[in-house]
Amino acid sequence: MKNIWKKSLALITATAALVGMAACGSSNNNSSGSKSGKKTVGFVAVGPEGGFRTANEEDAKKAFKSAGFDLIYSPTQNNDQQKQIQAFSKFVNDGVDAIVLSATEDSGWDDSLKKAAEAEIPVFTVDRDIDVKDAKAKNAVVSHIGPSNEWAGQQAAEFMNKAFPDGANGFILQGPAGLSVVKDRETGWSAKANKNINVLEKQSANWSTDEGKTVTAGLLDKYKDKNPQFIFAENDEMGLGAAQAVDAAGLKGKAKIVTIDGTKPGLQAVVAGDLAEDIEYNPIFGKETANAVKDKLAGKKVEKNIVIDSKVFDPTAAKQALDAGTRTY
Amino acid sequence: MPSNLTWSVIAFIVLIIICTIFYHGFLSLKWNTNTGGLAGPLITMIQESARYLMIAAGMTLVISTAGIDLSVGSTMAVAGAVAMQMLIGGANVWVAILCALLVGLLIGCVNGALVSILGLQPFITTLIMMLAGRGLAKVITSGQNADASSIPGVAPLHWIANGFIFGIPANFIIAVIIVLIVGLLARKTAMGMMIESVGINPEASRMTGIKPRRILFMVYAISGLLAAVAGLFATASVMRVDVVKTGQDLEMYAILAVVIGGTSLLGGKFSLLGSAFGAIIIAMIRKTIITLGIDAAATPAFFAVVVIIVCVMQAPKVHNLSAEIKRKKALKAQSKEVAA
Repeated sequence: MKNIWKKSLALITATAALVGMAACGSSNNNSSGSKSGKKTVGFVAVGPEGGFRTANEEDAKKAFKSAGFDLIYSPTQNNDQQKQIQAFSKFVNDGVDAIVLSATEDSGWDDSLKKAAEAEIPVFTVDRDIDVKDAKAKNAVVSHIGPSNEWAGQQAAEFMNKAFPDGANGFILQGPAGLSVVKDRETGWSAKANKNINVLEKQSANWSTDEGKTVTAGLLDKYKDKNPQFIFAENDEMGLGAAQAVDAAGLKGKAKIVTIDGTKPGLQAVVAGDLAEDIEYNPIFGKETANAVKDKLAGKKVEKNIVIDSKVFDPTAAKQALDAGTRTY
Repeated sequence: MPSNLTWSVIAFIVLIIICTIFYHGFLSLKWNTNTGGLAGPLITMIQESARYLMIAAGMTLVISTAGIDLSVGSTMAVAGAVAMQMLIGGANVWVAILCALLVGLLIGCVNGALVSILGLQPFITTLIMMLAGRGLAKVITSGQNADASSIPGVAPLHWIANGFIFGIPANFIIAVIIVLIVGLLARKTAMGMMIESVGINPEASRMTGIKPRRILFMVYAISGLLAAVAGLFATASVMRVDVVKTGQDLEMYAILAVVIGGTSLLGGKFSLLGSAFGAIIIAMIRKTIITLGIDAAATPAFFAVVVIIVCVMQAPKVHNLSAEIKRKKALKAQSKEVAA
């Protein structure tokens, strides 16, 4: 009796799986078949990982739709590059008209890009730029569209220069090691920070609020005697955690925290005075991306690097932006 | 004191010594009027250890039935997401806490049911739950990092993770009490022995009148519930859930804590006290990484080296070796005495 139950259960799950797969297959066929005469664009995406990403990818989907493209959205999970590479190859094999790539890692794309170059599929990198060694692979990338991370780092440094003309000690909270975002934001910072803006230590808090708090608490303990006055958190999440550690240590207002992202909770914290400044990393550039793809497919020349403008939010600007209520993330 | 604990304690002391050499004020404690409790590196360390204590305790019971629970990290995220999302939606803070715990328990029960009733492999079952849980957390908050820090009336939950009882972090005290309760249940009743016997041989224990299914179901349910508590500690600390980051990799930390504590992954024997020490060592290693300012790229390697040293030192082979050396020395001394 029991065996029959087990068998039937297995049968049901197997059938369900098959039906599911068939459903996937058919939907893919529909979208890449481009019966409607629409151009198909494959979007190798990151998937939900927080406010920024959600706003960014939703905006891209909307923009491509209204520009008259068929966008096939293929997110990965937990920043898994392998899945992105698979999705990329699938798009090449399916012969889409263009590929939009929002890479989780900046290296390891040479082989995939070579395939795209052979198939003559133009590739547009968005948000995170990628590091390509191979000349042929380089040719496949038409354009990079995104806000500048270096610019954001520079703004953070300039804020500190202005806030502490006589110099100060402080920390940098880094994102996970090895990401191009982290490198670029720090390059920007180092290029602009005055000599007397002394970074006591850089530590990774893995983009996480919770780790931002524990790491900051540890650093504040360790450098008590050095009077830390600033914290540059490379994203909002870590900055919000740092603000809580600063508050618990009784240093609120004394240690200035600058973050990059410009998410709603970040701006709210700027208004509340927990953060000193939030530098936007503007996720809304779906329209620009769609236009670049359109131009390329129409045979027009597309700029190699399209930089998206971002804003700097001090308390007044943050309040205005929040009151306007137009921010989607 | 059992030998596996000796090495954990030694490792803990060595880490403290290293930290103190690097930063002389490491052991300093002062009263922080701002938070109404003690403050200092050790305090933040034990504050962080609370969540490891929870998941390590649950993991200990699961592992001693020769199973494994890979879903604890994701369960933490789901519980945290439930609590934060409910608070944002205007729910009473106690209702939110209760619901988060229930959801954790439910995830544990699903694991337990799949493992005990359907007889699925624990590794696969909980691996699937780990992936599904992460997705569930994202669905609950619609992919956002839900932030309840500015919601009024969340003070009790905030206090659980950040407050102090007589100057000692409240979450640590709560965690210790919960571990003690689990320990009492396991050791003062027959439960612990039943769990171990199921770990050694489920068929034989069934024949002696133990119900292995019930035991298996129970350990996964407990693990899920404790993971939910850990999730509350982790998210309430900043009143915010990071759907991707909350509890990420913590299932590995929990397994490491259990192994450091001397519980065999083959099941059949467990030491809750050992796991508790293991959990504190994990927190201490993380504190050491911050204190020494180890480069972000090298932290996983540092972590691994410390864990492997502790594991090697308490391996039976190494014990036998040191016993052998002692015996030879004694023999030599004896023969010398005879010769003299």
